[in-house]
Amino acid sequence: MNYAYYPGCSTQGASTDYEKSTRAVCAALGMNLVELPEWNCCGSTPAHAVDTELSAALCVRNLDIAARQESETLLTPCPSCLSNLKHAAKRMQNPEARARVNELLDNPAASEFPAVTSVMQGMAAHLDAKEIASRTRKSLSALTFAPYYGCLMSRPAEIMKFGDPENPTLMESLLTACSATVLDFPLKTACCGASYGIPERSMTARLSARILQLATDMKVDAIVVACPLCQMNLDLRQPQAEKAADTRFAMPVLYFTQALGLAFGFSPDTLGLEKLRVSADSLLRKLGTGAANAAGSR
Amino acid sequence: MRIGVFICHCGSNIAGTVDCTKVAEIAKKFPDVVYTAEPMYTCAEPGQTAMEDAIHEYRLDGVVVASCSPRMHEATFRRTVERAGLNRYMFEMANIREHVSWIGKEKDANTNKAAELVEIAVAKLRNNRPLTAKTFDVTKKVLIAGGGVAGIQSALDCADGGVPVILVERESTIGGKMAKLDKTFPTVDCSACILGPKMVDVAQHPNITLHAYSEIEDVSGYVGNFSVKIRKLATYVDWEKCTGCGVCSEKCPSKKTPDAFNEFTGTTTAVSISFPQAIPKKAVINARHCRQLTKGKCGVCAKFCPTGAIDYAMQDSIVTEEVGCIIAATGYDLMDWTVYREYGGGAYPDVITSLQYERLLSSSGPTGGHLIRPSDGGEPQNVVFVQCVGSRDKSIGRPQCSAFCCMYTAKQAVLTKEHLPESQSYVFYMDIRAPGKMYDEFTRRAMEEYGVEYIRGRVSAIYPDGLGQYVVMGSDTLLGEPVEIKADLVVLAVGIEAARGTRALAEKLRISYDKSGFFMESHVKLKPVETNTAGVFLAGVCQGAKDIPASVAQGSAAAAKVMALFARDKLENNPQIAFVDLRRCVGCGKCIRCCPFGAIKEKDIRGETKAQVIETVCQGCGLCTSTCPQGAAQLSHATDNQILAEVNALCR
Amino acid sequence: MPVMEGKELRIVGFLCNWCSYGSADTAGVARAWQPTDLRIIRVPCSGRVDPLFIVKSLLNGADGVLVAGCHPRDCHYSAGNFYARRRLEVLKRFLPVLGINDARFEYTWISASEGQRWQQMVTSFTNRIHALGPAPRFENATPLPKVVGMALPPSSRPLGTGKNAPLDDLKQGIKEKLPDLECVIGWQRGYDGVHTAPLFMKIPEDVEKLVWGPFNVANPAVYLPKFKGKKVGIVVKGCDSRSVVELLQEHLVAREDVTIFALPCQGTLDMSRVKEKLGRYTVVDNVVCDETEVIITVDGKKHRLPMNDFAQVKCRLCTKPMAVFADTPLGESPEVEIATHVPPELALLDAMNLDERMAYWSGQITRCLRCYACRNACPMCVCRDYCVSDSRDPRWMTQEADVTQKLFFQAIHALHLAGRCTGCGECQRACPVGIPILALRQQIARTVEELFDDYRAGFDPAAVPPLLSYEVEEKSIREREWK
Repeated sequence: MNYAYYPGCSTQGASTDYEKSTRAVCAALGMNLVELPEWNCCGSTPAHAVDTELSAALCVRNLDIAARQESETLLTPCPSCLSNLKHAAKRMQNPEARARVNELLDNPAASEFPAVTSVMQGMAAHLDAKEIASRTRKSLSALTFAPYYGCLMSRPAEIMKFGDPENPTLMESLLTACSATVLDFPLKTACCGASYGIPERSMTARLSARILQLATDMKVDAIVVACPLCQMNLDLRQPQAEKAADTRFAMPVLYFTQALGLAFGFSPDTLGLEKLRVSADSLLRKLGTGAANAAGSR
Repeated sequence: MRIGVFICHCGSNIAGTVDCTKVAEIAKKFPDVVYTAEPMYTCAEPGQTAMEDAIHEYRLDGVVVASCSPRMHEATFRRTVERAGLNRYMFEMANIREHVSWIGKEKDANTNKAAELVEIAVAKLRNNRPLTAKTFDVTKKVLIAGGGVAGIQSALDCADGGVPVILVERESTIGGKMAKLDKTFPTVDCSACILGPKMVDVAQHPNITLHAYSEIEDVSGYVGNFSVKIRKLATYVDWEKCTGCGVCSEKCPSKKTPDAFNEFTGTTTAVSISFPQAIPKKAVINARHCRQLTKGKCGVCAKFCPTGAIDYAMQDSIVTEEVGCIIAATGYDLMDWTVYREYGGGAYPDVITSLQYERLLSSSGPTGGHLIRPSDGGEPQNVVFVQCVGSRDKSIGRPQCSAFCCMYTAKQAVLTKEHLPESQSYVFYMDIRAPGKMYDEFTRRAMEEYGVEYIRGRVSAIYPDGLGQYVVMGSDTLLGEPVEIKADLVVLAVGIEAARGTRALAEKLRISYDKSGFFMESHVKLKPVETNTAGVFLAGVCQGAKDIPASVAQGSAAAAKVMALFARDKLENNPQIAFVDLRRCVGCGKCIRCCPFGAIKEKDIRGETKAQVIETVCQGCGLCTSTCPQGAAQLSHATDNQILAEVNALCR
Repeated sequence: MPVMEGKELRIVGFLCNWCSYGSADTAGVARAWQPTDLRIIRVPCSGRVDPLFIVKSLLNGADGVLVAGCHPRDCHYSAGNFYARRRLEVLKRFLPVLGINDARFEYTWISASEGQRWQQMVTSFTNRIHALGPAPRFENATPLPKVVGMALPPSSRPLGTGKNAPLDDLKQGIKEKLPDLECVIGWQRGYDGVHTAPLFMKIPEDVEKLVWGPFNVANPAVYLPKFKGKKVGIVVKGCDSRSVVELLQEHLVAREDVTIFALPCQGTLDMSRVKEKLGRYTVVDNVVCDETEVIITVDGKKHRLPMNDFAQVKCRLCTKPMAVFADTPLGESPEVEIATHVPPELALLDAMNLDERMAYWSGQITRCLRCYACRNACPMCVCRDYCVSDSRDPRWMTQEADVTQKLFFQAIHALHLAGRCTGCGECQRACPVGIPILALRQQIARTVEELFDDYRAGFDPAAVPPLLSYEVEEKSIREREWK
């Protein structure tokens, strides 16, 4: 089945591993991702912080491309892109706002856009847990994960429509389908510090440290995330968090697509695992899927 | 008719901006007006005497007073004309103060308006008819719905006053929420010790009939003559025979039965007496957990009961009581706090409600008063209290304050320290509301003598830290920064709501309830005990959040209202009620459908169906009058002809 | 007393005793200055305000009327204001069809503590009325001289003469039930072949007189309430059956007492147009019904009347050719195309502005004879001898034969029928001078449909009539929080 696909900027740089693993896993599930031609940045945090209409216009341009593709669903892996696209679509329901946004665009936008949803929801809608389980080649039963959605994926509830905004459980259902042990992680929707990593590094370090500390105390093998920025804060900035907490975490932080990819038998290379700042080797050893015996995998 | 018109000067209140003399002159020309006067103060004694004299001297049979609002002095002047021998309804008022002299700047316009208001009043008066109240007998018995502390107080006061009381309680014991409390603020004395004797008095009082484990099925009738059907729920134990010895409970094999009295902090047996001081001290079988009733085999309690009281075949039964008044004292329940997903939504065993905490503190509770964490039985070191969970929170649609949480939280913090001297308590609060006698002193003592740390701010999240404790995240708005506290136990001061079933009862009693389900009093300030349905009174939290002393006071107040009403052998109805002209009535029943009080019934008169007003139930709204197309239903003192006369005086 | 010339206008306020009258007192105590035009009439509850008081005021010279009651949920009598809200909203949407500007009437909710709000309301309402100026009066309006003809709407189904209806089966059915019934109401040949008269069948021979066809214009349900408490049968067209349903709903007849006989109706004739076509005649020689037309020979002259051109307008708009329900239904109901065409009487008024409507009614109603044929033909006019139009107590009307009294009677009839009128059109048909009074009932029926979930009278005997019930939150009534 074909899906319109909006990768977002992060996947082109900081999170190429998310992109690689997303594409690999989607392919394994029989989801054909059709990348939007000539897509542009959604505007990320800066655009909507400065000018909501400009932010909407940036997103609407992408939505408009998707509408012309005649896809029913537009998937995006990044919660921030998802949030911006969904907010823009919502804003366009107001005729006055629509008129102002249309002024910023070369051509007036289509009157209706395809539904925008996360890759995660797309997977769950595409196949049920039983079918996902049937595609696993490598059981993850040796692994214990802390699922971490970040603050954006489920909020605001009425726009994101991601289930209980305080306690989403979609990632759990995907990972348990691959036999992993997934703990009830109380901070699953807490904030990691997000883009404050740049203007106020100590705050991000403190907030990320709390998440890492709880995961460590809960003795998980890895935190599993769905957001490029969360991943960066928890993984790349883990030393900063360690410094703030005056401790050492050594906590691998995987994208859920990477975890699923391991279950589907993809090699660490295919999934971009080498890009993780905190090595996932401990996981691979537990799985018996060391880089050395990757030969047996896809 | 011979009508006298009195244009009151009200000192300069009216005369300052209305030419009263001119109004009087104009009024003289109105039909049937034979006398006008301009008293300085009509309501003062000389003014009233002059009016009485004028009625006699000029043989007046109707009086118009143009003065202040009828809401102010209508009752006064009605008494005046009555003293002079007129029917009190042969009197009308024109409001030329609040509606004219105080709000209009121009004297000309004011004078003209005042004269017109007098004209309207005269026009209406010419259509007035003398009305007399009817009397009817009173059943001098009261039914009290709810056996919490407010209902108990009402029951005892009424019973002591010689009024037979029917006390109906839904649970198997009276005592209500207060019976579950360990201690009470601000004196920290034992709740059971002060409530217990009152409960025993209820049981022993010759004037009180107690229906426990019973619900109100239906209410009909009207003030002085209510008929109440009471559903006595099946207890499966013959209470005539049960001695409360407790053998059944000791022997019952079904020991995992959830214990509602202990707020589900522990378990009990399927047949049990809810607590040692229960009144009545009788056993009840929980049908959902009884092996005999669910699986059909067991019968242990029946075997061991020394008096043979167990009756597995028992059914609900209905009893009917005739009473003259009803007091609703149905209390409250805690709101469903699990909507707070950020506090775990009920998933964390050590995040509990304040009422559960009371049971943990109580020596008659499941732990025998030993303060432990529900999850592992350990003694908590850090106890965090969170106030306003479900109170003053618009985001979940509960803007109201629950009124007593600030105080019991302080009490619970104090008790925590007394139970576990090494412990540390924290209280997250929005504002401390301690306006009662000795209340603020008490919260100060909690802080100053018991070292309770008060943090002004709300809690944003509670989560387990993975090491056996909970992280309570909140903000300290006084410091202006976020705080995090590691807690062993979190106690939520959960907001209250009207007890379950309140709305259904309100419909049966035909009284109003507010958005939160609390019963509406007749006037928020001046009639806090009455309802708009005559003969139905309110006591306790069912009317709005209040603490024990206020509930007890209102319980006594409701009893006083009942006894005042019963002090008369006959009641008079308000004659300003509807009546049906039987000749005009075609029996279409439109009035019956609309009447908000069910005050109109169908009656068969010589083979024809007609509408008939139940005079004691009608409250005089006149909805039937504006509904009846043929004008058969008419509201006395606001008939179509009376209002048409007013309209015609203005528009022609 | 007359209003102060050039200074004040006549504004009448109906205020409930408990909340709004209190708010006016509160405003007074606070010395909150207000315009002096408004005169307050104190009533116990806004639910006591019969909309007719307002119509009466407006017809008799009020320039504005304001009704105020307790806020919804705060009614001293629990629900009076909920009923008031529905009735006053219906009134507000009714006034314009008479040619009265609905801005001259307003209703609102004010609690006793809201003195300031009362001051604002009085001030803004008075300012509004002054901006509108003195209300035009019907007696001063120049009657609209000529009314253009009304265009016929397309028919919802093929019209015919009912020639092939199973009349004999019906007669047989009636005869079978007749022994158990006091009588069965139907139609018989009238004084000539182009008129029918009511038939009350008591013995089998009577049944033979029963006729079925395009001349059965009258609604037999009008006779039904007279038989209350007796076993009675009635033969109905689809439209007549809706009146029966209403009578059942109002308990004016009991279901177990009524036996309903029904045939599918193919339409009945608009007798005024038949009369026009036939002209003055002395003898009806012959009446023959073809499938789709009636051929009438009078004084030796043959007239062809195709049903498509001569059926009543209500038949063209009919959605219910067959009875809503019947004890002995015979024949199939034809397919009906449900289209919502505004009836032509109402469409005519819709196209006019307020002044034109006032002129129109002024011209039309002048011709009224106060004969009350409209009332007597109405199956829902169940007050019978106790109609408020000729009662002293209550005395809603005087006996003066002026425009306002005549129009007021029509308003009484229309408002008393609110939510009850099935649109059978008998009132208008019965009018000897041909005043198109049905439009007033149609406007109210349209309003009731708009406000209350497409409610239409006469379909469900168990339905709660919308003006005898309420919702705490009304879906279609905008709370008038005007400033």
